[in-house]
Amino acid sequence: MNKFLPALSVLFAVVATAVPWGLPADATFILPLVVVMMVFCWRAIPGGALPPAGAAGLGLLADLMSGGPLGYWALMCLIGATVGGRAGSLREGSDFALQWLIWIALVSVLAGFGWLLASLYYFRWIDWWPIAFGALTSIALFPVVLYGLLWVRYGRFGPKRKVIFRGSA
Amino acid sequence: MRERGSPLFRRHRPSWRAPVELLSFGLYFLCAVLLVLSRIGHGAIADARDGLVDLTAPVLEAASFPAIEARRAYERAQLYAAAFDEVDRLKKENEALRQWEWRTKLLERKVAHLRSLLNAVDEPGLVFATGRVIADARGPFVRSALINLGRKDGVHIGYAVINGDGLVGRTVDAGESVARVLLLNDLNSRIPVLVGPAGVRALASGDNSAELQLDFLPDDATAYPGDEVYTSGSDGVLPRGLRVGVVTGTQGAFKVRPYAELNSLDAVSVLFFDTPALQRTDPEMAVGGTGALSAAPTDKAVKTTTASLPVEAAMGSVGVAADIPNPGGQAQAER
Repeated sequence: MNKFLPALSVLFAVVATAVPWGLPADATFILPLVVVMMVFCWRAIPGGALPPAGAAGLGLLADLMSGGPLGYWALMCLIGATVGGRAGSLREGSDFALQWLIWIALVSVLAGFGWLLASLYYFRWIDWWPIAFGALTSIALFPVVLYGLLWVRYGRFGPKRKVIFRGSA
Repeated sequence: MRERGSPLFRRHRPSWRAPVELLSFGLYFLCAVLLVLSRIGHGAIADARDGLVDLTAPVLEAASFPAIEARRAYERAQLYAAAFDEVDRLKKENEALRQWEWRTKLLERKVAHLRSLLNAVDEPGLVFATGRVIADARGPFVRSALINLGRKDGVHIGYAVINGDGLVGRTVDAGESVARVLLLNDLNSRIPVLVGPAGVRALASGDNSAELQLDFLPDDATAYPGDEVYTSGSDGVLPRGLRVGVVTGTQGAFKVRPYAELNSLDAVSVLFFDTPALQRTDPEMAVGGTGALSAAPTDKAVKTTTASLPVEAAMGSVGVAADIPNPGGQAQAER
């Protein structure tokens, strides 16, 4: 079950993304970015097995449910998975600030890239504010999501040291 | 010796790195290809999407139930918090509406009298079906919603979708049991409208924001903030006279604020309005006294005409509509 936990939790988030919560128009970018953030975090958490192909598949499902162009959120999730996988395993508290910084850098790039891609897709400059608002909110939500996933993974807010140094879950 | 470099580059590298990176490259390439195919609107992609959306519809419907109930509970709590103010407001509104009712009855009688004098042909009533929004689209590209009505309910592409407040959008995809509604404020939405009492023609275009842009408004047109905007029907896709919103902004930068709350849609009605221009009304020219000049239309022509209005399917769904109070939808449909 632990093996499928990352994929299942992201799947849950993808479905939640498509549900009509009645959020204002400016907040439309927040939930999909939470999905990307979860992919990033699962890749950074030691023992969190979410392969890039799985991340891309879940992104594709988000594309399907949202009615947007196929491949957009798949691409975002794939980038999140790639960077999360290379960001190093999350250690007991010490690397949290670094992970947060990496996420800030990543989400800034993703927001810019997403805005450019969307503008290119429509051949017109689209409104940047919802994307910027979503990116800023995701930065604020990062600790909540990360510690939430750590709790889901280990039942506590952080991995045990022996688990990290023995290299097994 | 301390290892150099940040943890970003210190990840352990498995021996099967090359195939993994090749796979990653393949996935990036696949995403790019899918994006391009979506952009050009490839038929296979659209068909596959329709099928998959049909498959995911039950999951979405089940998942949306608690979200909708939570939203309603929140709205109800807000209502209770401001109950006394709301009662006062409703009393005043009720008084105003009674006066309007009286005036409307007078006008109805007058219109009926004038129509009888002119021998005007009655406009056919619109059939509609009501369903629920089961999913929202989120992201920079689209403002759309998925509803639990599909082809089996008689929904086709291009039908107008309304709620109690006004026009919501139109259907752009129709699966077997679900349909996707392109909302008014989507970047791809263009609705020909009439503005104000003068009925000035314009185009209400979505830009993914809460309000619509009012394009192609003539320079000498007289429009004021607060003027009502309604569909002109000149595109032949939407019926004429559906309420869209009110004019906001200033001269030269007018916008339209939709009546319908597009962020929190719940029950919506699909109007079964087919483009009149696409309906064959005249029988085909044929030899043997059954052609266009003949008084009797062929069976084929009759079938084509009636098939365009799926009354039976629609009426089946109207039964569903009975569970959902939507008097505004009824009023809109009658209009």
